Amino acid sequence: MDLKELRRQRRSRFTGSLIPYVGYIIQSGVAMVFLLVLIMFSAWYTALLRDIPAGIPIRWIMLLLLIPAAVHSSFRTYLQTPDTIFLLPQGHRMREYFAPSWVSGNVWKILRLAFILITIWPLYIRTDESPKGLLATLLVLILVKLLSSYGLWRETAMLSRPAASGYNLLRWAVGTLMVAAWVWQPSIRALIFIVILAAAYAAALSVPGRHSVPWERLITMEKNQGTRALMVLGWFVDVPGREQRVYARRYLSKWGSGITWQRNSAYRFLLTKSFARGDIFGIVLRIAVLDLFLVWMTRGSYLGSGIYVFFLFLMGIQLTALRKLHSESFWLTVYPLPEGSKGKGTIQFVFRAHLVLALLTGLPLLLELGDRPLPALGTYACGFLLAYLFRVSSTRKEARVDEDDL
Amino acid sequence: MNTAPVLQITGLSGGYSLNKPVLHDIGLQVQPGEMVGLIGLNGAGKSTTMKHILGLMSPHKGEITVQGKTRGSDPESYHSALSFVPESPLLYEELTVREHVEFTARAYGVERSDYESRTSQLAALFNMEDKMDTLSSHLSKGMKQKVMIMCAFVARPALYVIDEPFLGLDPLGIRSLLDFMLDLKKSGASILLSSHILSTIENYCDRFIVLHRGMVIAEGTLAEMTAKAGLQGLNLEQLFYELVQGGK
Repeated sequence: MDLKELRRQRRSRFTGSLIPYVGYIIQSGVAMVFLLVLIMFSAWYTALLRDIPAGIPIRWIMLLLLIPAAVHSSFRTYLQTPDTIFLLPQGHRMREYFAPSWVSGNVWKILRLAFILITIWPLYIRTDESPKGLLATLLVLILVKLLSSYGLWRETAMLSRPAASGYNLLRWAVGTLMVAAWVWQPSIRALIFIVILAAAYAAALSVPGRHSVPWERLITMEKNQGTRALMVLGWFVDVPGREQRVYARRYLSKWGSGITWQRNSAYRFLLTKSFARGDIFGIVLRIAVLDLFLVWMTRGSYLGSGIYVFFLFLMGIQLTALRKLHSESFWLTVYPLPEGSKGKGTIQFVFRAHLVLALLTGLPLLLELGDRPLPALGTYACGFLLAYLFRVSSTRKEARVDEDDL
Repeated sequence: MNTAPVLQITGLSGGYSLNKPVLHDIGLQVQPGEMVGLIGLNGAGKSTTMKHILGLMSPHKGEITVQGKTRGSDPESYHSALSFVPESPLLYEELTVREHVEFTARAYGVERSDYESRTSQLAALFNMEDKMDTLSSHLSKGMKQKVMIMCAFVARPALYVIDEPFLGLDPLGIRSLLDFMLDLKKSGASILLSSHILSTIENYCDRFIVLHRGMVIAEGTLAEMTAKAGLQGLNLEQLFYELVQGGK
């Protein structure tokens, strides 16, 4: 069996399944908005470079932008559940199958890392007291990237899941320390520290027991990766219903229990629980926290208003993805849910969540009410208007779906 | 004693392709308070028949009514009158066991107090009390099947459509399920049950319908079917073997 060829075929099949959507992505309004935002960002960044404010915390900014890009790793293996039966006998040869996953996973992420570094570089060399060389920085970051990828691979194979979680934290800590050392310390001292830390980390990785091929773990990871890819596609175009990655989140276990005990709200119960334990909640929460932080930092200028509206738009896109959740659910066909309750329930839920986010992430603007009442209130109003426009758009789409179903 | 049948299928032909129907002119009915066993070889059309009843497939010909209503005329009443236990558990990974049962109860409009009492009873019956707040993805296959059964039984509709319910269940679970079905039957519920474990259902079902290659080849009580086939004294398994071998 040619394992390399098998993986290549599977990758081609996945890529092929995305191609029909490319045209829709180009046509979609979301793509246009992203393009617009990119142009606006470029203009703002150019203006910033021409007139850099004094005391900008460039090293912290470098750290904030480079750590996720350098440490975050993932692989597409395209493994499937039946592989636990049919590929099991090939276990000793699976290195051939995984090698391209390792290469492509790293190549794309190194390109992403380089892009971020090159984008931030003009600001860095203009503001840092003793900037490092671009090539040396890139090489150090690539080293961190490769070490993180190796760490993730080892974590995946670990027999103990709690140990794997511990090593996950260790990976992020090690990556952060390495990048921080390079940004803050003189080159030679930083390099010595990085090499020693890398050796210690690599040695630590060899300690826990591990599977030769962690089939089930890899299949779960692959499922999550595929789901993520479809979710990103879902920002631009309606894709068929997908499963989502589920997190226990015990602290949210009561959310949804208070929903009115009526057949009309049965779907809202399911949606609330699904949202509370799904990946959309995590993504929206992260965007909201970042939004809150950035709006607070820039609340005294129109940039703050722009950031507030843009992030609210991003959250709206994420929340709208809830429309596709359970769209192919067996039980929603069999259970006697009142007609239209799924669509109405989803639109109502998304609108309310969007409003709450508009309210919360705009709170820093209220601090400016005394000095700039009109811009602050106007920005807030824009946020609510945006939530309403999302609702109108979702209602239209839902009506279109209903017409198609007739 | 019989009133109108709870489930009536008349002249049903259907399948995945118009040119190649799987079911051929199926006719059957299930009366109130009756448990009917639907038996047949793999591919005989049992699951396809059930899919038609559930509305997952549309008949090419024929009509299906549940409590006198077709799915087309009144889908909400039609679906309210039946619940289903699938052969393989179909669960939402985002929900716990309790939340599955609660979602079903909400969807069927079960009163909250009824939901609470029925849930406690079912959890105890199926030995699931300590798993009620566990996410479905953390359950074994047998436990997942129990969740499906609990969901179907919390609704208390007029008709239960149950496809291979014993797969993955432990012996205690099978016994609890059979006993509970008998209780439901006594309370007037109707059950259409498909299973390959003929020795088990022989003693529990009132009547049997034998499907073979998409056609009903025999129906009635065990005594009626053996008499009609001239094979008195055979048990259900022996009779079934004779019927399908004869139908070669």
